[in-house]
Amino acid sequence: MKNIRLLRDRFDLPLLVATSLLLGIGVLLVYAATRDWYASAGEDPQFYLKRQILNIIIGLLLAAGAMSIDYRLLRAYTPILWGLSVIGLIAVLIPAFGDSVNGARAWIALPGGLQIQPAEFAKIAIIVGMSMILAEKREGSQDPTSLDVLQSLAVAAIPLLLIVAQPDLGTTVIISAAVVTIIAASGAQTRWPIGLLSLSAIGAYVVIRIGVLDEYQLKRLQSFVDPTADPQSSGYQLRQARITIGSGGFFGKGLFNGPQTNGRFVPEQHTDFIFTVAGEELGFLGCIFILVLYSIILWRALVIARRSNDIFGRLVCIGVMAWFGFQIFENIGMAVGLAPMTGVPLPFLSYGGSSMFATLMAVGLLLNVHSRR
Amino acid sequence: MSPLRMAQGRLRISFLLVLVIFLSFFVRLVFVQAVNAQDRAHQAARELNQTVDLPAPRGEITDRNGNVLARSIDALDLVVDQNLIGDPEETAKLVAPIINASSSAIESRLTGTRKFVYVAKDITPAQWLKIKEVIVSNNSGKPMSERIGGFFTQRGFKRDYPGKTLSANTLGFVNSEGVGGGGIEASMNTLLSGTDGVLTYASGKGPSIPSARQSLIPAKAGTNIRLTIDRDLQWITENAIASVAKSTRAQSITAVVMDPATGEILALATAPTFDPNKFNLTKSNLLQNPAVQDSYEPGSTGKVMTFAAALQEKLIEPTTVFQIPDKIKRADRIFNDHEPHPKWKLTSTGILAKSSNVGTIQIGEKMSEDTLYSYLTKFGIGQQLNMGLPGESAGIFSPVNKWSRSTAPTVAFGQGYSLTTIQATSVFATIANGGVRAAPHIVAGTSNQNGHYTPKENNSGVRVIDKEVATTLSLMMESVVAEGGTAPSAQISGYRVAGKTGTANRFNDKCRCYSGYTASFIGFAPADKPRFVMSITIQDPKGIHWGGYLGGPVFKEVISYALKSYQVAPTGKLNEAFPLDAATLKKREKISTAASVRD
Repeated sequence: MKNIRLLRDRFDLPLLVATSLLLGIGVLLVYAATRDWYASAGEDPQFYLKRQILNIIIGLLLAAGAMSIDYRLLRAYTPILWGLSVIGLIAVLIPAFGDSVNGARAWIALPGGLQIQPAEFAKIAIIVGMSMILAEKREGSQDPTSLDVLQSLAVAAIPLLLIVAQPDLGTTVIISAAVVTIIAASGAQTRWPIGLLSLSAIGAYVVIRIGVLDEYQLKRLQSFVDPTADPQSSGYQLRQARITIGSGGFFGKGLFNGPQTNGRFVPEQHTDFIFTVAGEELGFLGCIFILVLYSIILWRALVIARRSNDIFGRLVCIGVMAWFGFQIFENIGMAVGLAPMTGVPLPFLSYGGSSMFATLMAVGLLLNVHSRR
Repeated sequence: MSPLRMAQGRLRISFLLVLVIFLSFFVRLVFVQAVNAQDRAHQAARELNQTVDLPAPRGEITDRNGNVLARSIDALDLVVDQNLIGDPEETAKLVAPIINASSSAIESRLTGTRKFVYVAKDITPAQWLKIKEVIVSNNSGKPMSERIGGFFTQRGFKRDYPGKTLSANTLGFVNSEGVGGGGIEASMNTLLSGTDGVLTYASGKGPSIPSARQSLIPAKAGTNIRLTIDRDLQWITENAIASVAKSTRAQSITAVVMDPATGEILALATAPTFDPNKFNLTKSNLLQNPAVQDSYEPGSTGKVMTFAAALQEKLIEPTTVFQIPDKIKRADRIFNDHEPHPKWKLTSTGILAKSSNVGTIQIGEKMSEDTLYSYLTKFGIGQQLNMGLPGESAGIFSPVNKWSRSTAPTVAFGQGYSLTTIQATSVFATIANGGVRAAPHIVAGTSNQNGHYTPKENNSGVRVIDKEVATTLSLMMESVVAEGGTAPSAQISGYRVAGKTGTANRFNDKCRCYSGYTASFIGFAPADKPRFVMSITIQDPKGIHWGGYLGGPVFKEVISYALKSYQVAPTGKLNEAFPLDAATLKKREKISTAASVRD
């Protein structure tokens, strides 16, 4: 009994259960999305399955680290993580280091076929860094001053600008959403979140009008409005995504039995478009189940935030919640046709190392805050 | 409001926002997966299903004994799914040398988004193995995204003529679309082609989906066609005329061997000819079949019809004597014999043996123009043969009401009308066959893919002259091959041979005038029990142009082989030939009278 109570004190059970279930589903979906492809090429059909399990193991170790680390040490490590992220983000922009995929420079190739996406780690660095600054001088119940807000914005702005330069629109939107949410939750004056929201709206308009966007990004936006606009690439992908999800019906075709998935009609179906695999093979019921699991995670993040007496912990949880929420919204929204196409992975489900590491580290942070309430 | 409370309120707002978003997903999913699911599923099925035409193998063309003259052999077509080619330039550099193509040409075929593009037709299995090897070695160790995929092969067929030039002008060729472009390949294309099948299968962006459903309408192989040609005899005939073509530098030579009893064409050779495997490298005029497509004035070989008519109408006998000057004037024209000579006293047999134009005109004048016309027509002059070959010519033979006063004498010695080599051969076959004309044909029958053979229906022969008349005429024609005739070089020892030479003025289409000659020899053996009729027609030979001199040896070479290979027993010698001139005739009559007195 005592053990269970101890366990419950350290771990948030609904969060743990939802996360574990999503990871399990994710592994199966990645396997389903890649086994026929690799088998038909005469390769090990479990290649991606094994890699994804390895990603999860590494991610869980990082999560354990993030969970058990002392707050004070976290403060000491955050500037290092932030600095490394910024260096990484600069490095990807240098052709010698960075790899360009689909028109964006977002990866650093490491020996052994590994790739690192610094933007994923920048998310954590920004959330923790901003939370530190906004929580720092608040022994009493003083609101953060405008100077604090500006300082925290500076912490976010440097990596954010580098991400814009890649260009990675999806991640920019996610981080911006997290930034605004953290500032709103920090108790800063209302004009800050309102002002930042307006600024983002104007910024988005200007970006589209002036043509800062690359051609491939514009095409993606056009495809969102009219999927037939660019039928060969991004329009094709969106159309196929919807056909694939739709053909699953209520109960789905059954795991590993989706002909659209096995035929690889949707490009990137094991990464950004993993939700189409769920749609076809697990059907409406499976999709709703996944959405419920995500809701649980977001709900627990909010609950942990509200229970926390520590402003730093609360802001971190809120930041993570905003991050997860927006990323899920962008990804699933893209797959079902509610949001424009952006290349962001679906947390816990998509194949990918950096994304998995960062996501699980964030869960570790939630548990850290939970155990310290 | 305290700051903490305010923050709490904002938290609630943001959570509500998340709830709204998730609710919208819920609604959206209901629409996509429940309301419109049927549509999507159909759409998916449509995009999944691929159909591939399965080409039907073309029927074989064989000789009379089933030896293959034209066949379909497996060929591989190299096909690519352009979507799976990441780097067309690099890939083209790897693949192009193997299939002997230029990299730039291949690169353009690899570039694009089509799922099915022919890269090369008719590659060998060895080339395909090499391509696979090169791709595997290129792919090893590379990440999935940089690998080359997308190549596959489609089974097709290629027309193959194992005998190369053998019977080429009769067979024709098949063009790159798989359609017959000449000869039997063209005229019987529909039968030969068969019906293509269709394979429908589920396919993704790349390899076909394992265990996916397939439906197959199998291809129906084309019908096999059996010709009356004898491959070996055909080969001997082609070789024989090829050497004559060389030595005479003739414009063209055709030779036909026919079975007189059935009208079956055993050999039909043309020189110069072509190799249908390489038809696209051949000048188009060589792709024709002149034996059925080109008509010419026969000259002296046509005289046998005048003799046949006169004998049948009992206007002459083999020994009827004629007074023959070396020239004769009819209407506004003067007709000559081949060489000037003093007045000859020749029997009608002698006229045939020496091929006297003047004598033949005199015989022709014993009958009406209508009679002459009707006999030629019965022998097939001006009649379409309908053997099933493309572009068959009926020749030109104008009806009597269009004749001028000099036409009948002209026709009597074989000018003034035109016929094809097959028609000319058929005239002699009719005489050889006891006066019954069997329709010439070259298609023996067809067999479907189950091996069921259906012989082609052929009309029974039509009688043209009486058997006795035919036998008499045949005896007269033996004099042509005998010493003192025009074609002793056609003699085959041990067998009796009958024939007729022809050396006609040749009408040249280019200058629309007469220039050069058509030299010909048509004969049959054994004369007493004919098995083979053969004609050799040499158009525009340079140098010596006498039909007997040029055609006789070819006849001898080919028919000697035929008699041997068909195991025809030797028939010995003719006991007594008809006398050729009045003097010999008188001598013989004395002897026979003396003999009867002794009796």
